[in-house]
Amino acid sequence: MAAGVAAWLPFARAAAIGWMPVASAPMPPPPRDKRHTRDELIILNVSGSRFQTWRNTLERYPDTLLGSTERDFFYHEETNEYFFDRDPDIFRHILNFYRTGKLHYPRHECISAYDEELAFFGIIPEIIGDCCYEEYKDRRRENAERIQDDEDNENGNDVTQLDLTIRQSMWRAFENPHTSTMALVFYYVTGFFIAVSVMANVVETVPCGTGSRAKEMSCGERYALAFFCLDTACVMIFTVEYLLRLIAAPSRYKFVKSVMSIIDVVAIMPYYIGLVMTDNEDVSGAFVTLRVFRVFRIFKFSRHSAGLRILGYTLKSCASELGFLLFSLTMAIIIFATVMFYAEKGSNSSKFTSIPAAFWYTIVTMTTLGYGDMVPKTIVGKVFGSICSLSGVLVIALPVPVIVSNFSRIYHQSQRAEKRRAQKKTRLARIRAAKSGGANAYLQYKRNGLLADAEEEASKEAGKALVCKVNPTFETQHHHLLHCLEKTTNHEFVDEQTYETSCMEVSMVKPSTSRSSSVSSSPHGLTSCCSRRNKRKSFNVPNSNMTAGRRGSVQELSTIQIRERPLSNSRSSLNAKFEETVPLNSEQQPYITAAIISMPTPPVTTPEGGDSASSPDFLQSNIVRVSAL
Amino acid sequence: MSHCRKRCKRQLTKVARYFYRFLTGTLTQDSIEDDFELSTVCHRPEGLEKLQEQTKFTKKELQVLYRGFKNECPSGVVNEDTFKVIYSQFFPQGDSSTYAHFLFEAFDTNKNGSVSFEDFVIGLSIILRGTINDRLNWAFNLYDLNKDGCITKEEMLDIMKSIYDMMGKYTYPCMQEDAPREHVETFFQKMDRNNDGVVTIDEFIESCQKDENIMQSMQLFDNVI
Repeated sequence: MAAGVAAWLPFARAAAIGWMPVASAPMPPPPRDKRHTRDELIILNVSGSRFQTWRNTLERYPDTLLGSTERDFFYHEETNEYFFDRDPDIFRHILNFYRTGKLHYPRHECISAYDEELAFFGIIPEIIGDCCYEEYKDRRRENAERIQDDEDNENGNDVTQLDLTIRQSMWRAFENPHTSTMALVFYYVTGFFIAVSVMANVVETVPCGTGSRAKEMSCGERYALAFFCLDTACVMIFTVEYLLRLIAAPSRYKFVKSVMSIIDVVAIMPYYIGLVMTDNEDVSGAFVTLRVFRVFRIFKFSRHSAGLRILGYTLKSCASELGFLLFSLTMAIIIFATVMFYAEKGSNSSKFTSIPAAFWYTIVTMTTLGYGDMVPKTIVGKVFGSICSLSGVLVIALPVPVIVSNFSRIYHQSQRAEKRRAQKKTRLARIRAAKSGGANAYLQYKRNGLLADAEEEASKEAGKALVCKVNPTFETQHHHLLHCLEKTTNHEFVDEQTYETSCMEVSMVKPSTSRSSSVSSSPHGLTSCCSRRNKRKSFNVPNSNMTAGRRGSVQELSTIQIRERPLSNSRSSLNAKFEETVPLNSEQQPYITAAIISMPTPPVTTPEGGDSASSPDFLQSNIVRVSAL
Repeated sequence: MSHCRKRCKRQLTKVARYFYRFLTGTLTQDSIEDDFELSTVCHRPEGLEKLQEQTKFTKKELQVLYRGFKNECPSGVVNEDTFKVIYSQFFPQGDSSTYAHFLFEAFDTNKNGSVSFEDFVIGLSIILRGTINDRLNWAFNLYDLNKDGCITKEEMLDIMKSIYDMMGKYTYPCMQEDAPREHVETFFQKMDRNNDGVVTIDEFIESCQKDENIMQSMQLFDNVI
């Protein structure tokens, strides 16, 4: 029931007075009005724009956010209003829905933004009024297509090189020639041979001067052997290409059914049939017909040309318009041919011998060709002939704009796809940069350590301190969270290069330290060790203060081994160990000893020289400690 | 004869004008003339105080009623079709158009084919805030289709049929053909004191006052607004 009509319910109930005197049974008791709330104005503050409406208006739709108690979550006590941090322009339409019962879609708004707002306020889009429904559905479909396109493209290019078998890589080479140079070479070679074959077909029929028989011979007859060799070469290339595609195709049945493969077959079949058949007079007629099919080789170019494919696709999608054109033309031809035939019947030596004969005249006239081989002689014939040519222009001109607009739409779609593909590289790079930015921020944070100490301000370089201070609360809490995850899993976050190099190094390092200690997680230590070391190397770049290569690999490993030995947690021993290997501040110890149970308190950063060396060290030593226990 | 000739002449001029427009390519101008048919009637009710005097509603109730009224009928008056559409929204199963027509007749006190807000609110005031007698009077007025002061069997049959129509087809037990007629017979047996085939206003009020059920049902209207 429409919302506004609810206001007339009291009237409908009052109108029931007409039933009372005639009622045959007593009336049911009236419902008790549990709440006699006076209608009040509600203020809705949407990002600063204040909207006001009656409470009853909102409660017409109790299964939406505004109509149910869900809006209480947004109630702002201080200002006695409901505050929503959403788009005020779109909210206008949503509020109008409550008022009028009709949801409209503003054409200038982005469809995704609108959908999000509808979803937020709990309104299903299906109730959009008829006036805007079509536009809304169109835009939604376009958006879905765009997203689908993006996904397809992404999925298509996500396959890494390593995963493909020979067959799959061959198929990929055939479908996308730009993936490898071999594919590109193959692509151009086949294109060249298609061109050569078509040219040979054409030149074959040109008269080449008189031969031995003293009559005009075509080049094909004169240089029969040469053309035969050329044809053989081309057909061999085409056959090889077809067989290769057949082998590489993921679904052979589907490949055989596809249009391109049929064109391929039709292009090379005449040659083989010609080989098989002998020079029999009976079948030579059929043989000549078969040679016509050689011209289909020109369609093989559609693999090489996107424009040709678009044209073909357009014709396919405009099939109904083309059908209509054909049908209306046929109707007009029959009508006018009949009229012309009967009009010209009277005159003698008229070319219009029958209605089918008049068809030729009608077609030539309607398409404004006007060969002039058949002309009407009577006046009536001439009158109808002129009407025929005028109407011909109309009938042909009508479906053409539809076909043109279809072609234009498909062409623009393909242009858009191309543009998106070109922009995808920059888009992906941006996304990757954002992701790695986040990761790098965390790694940077770990290096610098946390702090809220006045001490570092003095000791730290301005740059590092600045970095720490500038991090907003969100960043620090996020970093803390990542840190907790590291502690939980006993692994650390690293960037890509260090990961890859560490992967290679683990295989090198493992045999040299085959310790059968109780430390089950020694591999962890080792990998972290390698990653540490490599991380240090990579840290050289951002942190120029670091001296490169402070530790040799062997020494580092030995330090790890040493650290795994002591089972006592005594501070002094730790101190001794650490002091012997790494110059650390005494302030760092509380971090280490407390590390096992509680979450690590942020270590104080060390003097710049030892900074990046020390912090990974004691993070790494921390890990070792945990694993040892 | 001259009438025939005049009509012929009018048709000829129309055809000539059509051909002229066909040749000059201005055929579409015909539609502009139709636009003058639209009536932009807009009715405003009298002041709030005056309505308060005429009816027994409070100011707030009148405001709420007017807001609902204006939402559905921005022009300020309801014509019969809109009335029927609004009323039919409440009875989706059956056909309420006939009963809505009778209601419209009852609300349209000055018989001008449209119900203004005053008529609407005055009618509602009688039904919802009036005395029992007022309500019975109003009901009698509704039943008396030709407003001659008495209800005949035919009038009652029409009313009864319209009420039964609102039920629609899917009822339990199945709706019999002569259900309205039987109901009318029962009604007349109860109401028609002097058995003269018609029910006058006094008979009606007297019989209703004697009937407990009817008296009780009249109380239902006290709390509608």
